[in-house]
Amino acid sequence: MKPWLALVARLVTGGVWVAAGAIKLPDPYESVRAVRAYDLLPESIVPTVGHLLPVLEIVIGLALIVGLLTRGAAVVSALLFVLFIIGIASVWARGIQIECGCFGGGGAKSGASSSYPWEIARDLGLLVLSASVFWAGRSRLALDNLLFRRTPEGT
Amino acid sequence: MAKKNREVTRAERAAAAILEQRRRERLRQVWIIGGVVVAVLAIVVIGVLIQSNRDTTGTPLAATAVPAGVTDTYGVVIGDANAPTTVEVYEDFQCPICREFEQATRDKLRAAVAAGRIKIDYRMVSFLDSSSTTNYSSRALNAAAVVLDTSGKDVFLKFHDLLYENQPAEGSAGLSNDQLIQYAVQAGAKESAVRPGIEGDEFAQWVTNTQDEMSKNGVTGTPSVFVDGKYAGNDLQSGIDAALKAAG
Repeated sequence: MKPWLALVARLVTGGVWVAAGAIKLPDPYESVRAVRAYDLLPESIVPTVGHLLPVLEIVIGLALIVGLLTRGAAVVSALLFVLFIIGIASVWARGIQIECGCFGGGGAKSGASSSYPWEIARDLGLLVLSASVFWAGRSRLALDNLLFRRTPEGT
Repeated sequence: MAKKNREVTRAERAAAAILEQRRRERLRQVWIIGGVVVAVLAIVVIGVLIQSNRDTTGTPLAATAVPAGVTDTYGVVIGDANAPTTVEVYEDFQCPICREFEQATRDKLRAAVAAGRIKIDYRMVSFLDSSSTTNYSSRALNAAAVVLDTSGKDVFLKFHDLLYENQPAEGSAGLSNDQLIQYAVQAGAKESAVRPGIEGDEFAQWVTNTQDEMSKNGVTGTPSVFVDGKYAGNDLQSGIDAALKAAG
C-alpha cells in the first residue's frame, strides 16, 4: 500500500512544481521582479535566483514525477518549500503586501496579506507530501526501480 | 578431514563472491547516482543560462536609445523644474487602476502644475505585456517614447492622456500601431515623424529597462505615487489622496 501512496505524493508534488515552473518560464524577468519584491536577498544575486527558480522547479517536478533520484528530489523539494514558507512569513511579518509569485506574477498587490495564510498552508501541505516521499523510500512506477535493482538476497 | 576442508573453502568462496557482487553493485549505484546528478545539474545550469540570456532587462543603453526629453533616463518631468513639490507617478499604459488614478487626479494635478505648486515626474513603465495578446503595454510605451523624442513634452502629455482615455481592455488585442499613430497625430505629432519609430519599435530596450528601473527603485506595482520621494502606499486610494493633497 505504502509504495502506491508514495507514488500519489510524488505525482501531486511533482505536478505542482512543473506547473509553477512552466508558468514562470516564458517571462524570465517577471520572476526576477517577484524575487526582488520579497526584499530578502542582496541585489547582486536577485537576477540569478529569479532565473534559477523556474528551471529548478521544473527539473525537481519532473524528477519527482518520473521517480528519478526520488529521495534526493524530495529533499530539495522540501527545502524549497521551507524557504518559500519563510519568505511568505517574512513579508507577512514586515507588512509588505505582494503577490507571492508562486505561479507567475509577483509584485505589489493591495490586500495580498489576506492570502498569506492560505499560501503558507498550501506550502506546508506540499512540504509534508515531499517529506512523505522521502520517508517512503521506494515507490511504484519509479525510474529508480529500474536503475537500482536490488541485489537478490541469499543463495 | 580433507572433505570437510573442501566444504569450508567452498562456502567461504561463495560468501566472498556474494560480497564481491554486492561491492560491485554498490559501486555501480554510486556511478549511476553521480552520473544522474551531474546530468541534472548540467540541465539546470543550461536552463539558467538560457533564461538569463533571454532576459535583456538592464542591458546598457546607447545614448541614441534613450528618448530626448527625459530626466534621469526614465522620467518625464512636467512643469517648472523649481516647483516646490515633486509628484512622481509610476504608470503602465495597460494598467486599469492607473486609468482610475488619472481620472481621479489629472485635472487637479495639471492645475497645480500650471500654478507652479508642483511638478509631475511621470515614470512610465511597461510590465503588463501579458495582459494583452499583442504586447500592448510595451508598444504603447515605445509609442509614447517616440512621441516624446520627436514632438516634445506637450505632445507627449496629450498622447499620454489620450491613451488612458482610450485604454484597451485587459486581455484584448490592445490598440494597433496604426491606432497609436492616429492618437499621436491627434495629440499634435507629425505622422511622418512618429510612424517609423512606432512601427520599428525604436526604444524597445529602453522600454524593457523601465521594468528594471522600477523594480530596483522598490516599485512593485502601478500606479505608485511618491510625493517628494515619500511613497504614498500600495493601494489606489492612498495614491489618489497623496496626489490630491500635494496638488493643494
